[in-house]
Amino acid sequence: MSGIEAVRKIVETEGQAKRIVEEAQSRAEEILARASEEAQKVRQTSTAEAEQRKVQMLRETRDKAEADARSSDVETDSLLGNYKKLFENRKDDAAKKAVKLVLGG
Amino acid sequence: MSESLDKLHNRILSDARLKAAGIVEQAEEKSKQILEDAKAQAQRDANDILSRASLEAESIRRSILSSRIRTNRLRILDEKNKIVQGVLKSVEQRLSDIANTDQFEPTLKRLVLEAVEAVGTDNTLVKVGFRNTQKKNLQSLGQSLPKGTKLLADDTPIDDLGGVVANDPEGKTIFNNSFKARIERLDNQLLATIASTIFG
Repeated sequence: MSGIEAVRKIVETEGQAKRIVEEAQSRAEEILARASEEAQKVRQTSTAEAEQRKVQMLRETRDKAEADARSSDVETDSLLGNYKKLFENRKDDAAKKAVKLVLGG
Repeated sequence: MSESLDKLHNRILSDARLKAAGIVEQAEEKSKQILEDAKAQAQRDANDILSRASLEAESIRRSILSSRIRTNRLRILDEKNKIVQGVLKSVEQRLSDIANTDQFEPTLKRLVLEAVEAVGTDNTLVKVGFRNTQKKNLQSLGQSLPKGTKLLADDTPIDDLGGVVANDPEGKTIFNNSFKARIERLDNQLLATIASTIFG
């Protein structure tokens, strides 16, 4: 092999080596780009799930509070319904005490 | 010569492959780290969203319940107030009808003496007016009055419910001892008595 041919072969080999490294760099860039994409997806998915859980949590809380409020309404209705019966017999006593107070006796 | 050139060729390629493998390996490591960081951050973001949602939910729950509970408390208070007002009406009715009861004379005497004492002068003028009362009912009172006191019987009940009003001869000092005036003076005490008797 002549000297020139040997140099040419080394130059070719260097070029090949350069390509190998460049391909690796390109692959590395792809890996990092994919990782960034995947990371973004992970965060988006997680945020979307959390937002969905938030909506559900708020809906459930609202429904439960409304149910408790309705229960309070029913309780109050029942209480008011019984008031007349409950206090009717005490009214006369209250009026007598009030009259006594006004008369000052 | 050719053998050493082959060795050099292989060495150059071997170095390049080693470097390439290192680059890819480093990228994979970094990629793994990026994903781990993203997952951790995503978890923190989710926790933050849910934590704020929890506070918001509590605020919504309180808002709904406190508003309704307040409304219901007001309904109960309103009903209690109606009951108390009903009793007050009944009290007014009983006071208005007092002339028909045996409480009339002692009550009249007490009201008049209180009014005369409050005016605190001689020759006090006392106006008396009750529903369904007759002048003869007032005659017995005259003897127990302080000397100089002049009694005037009014045909109509004073302040609607009846009572007495005393004043000095010049009309400068007036003491209203009508049932209405006494109710107004005793307002808080009356409400408390009625409410505690009925509602405990």
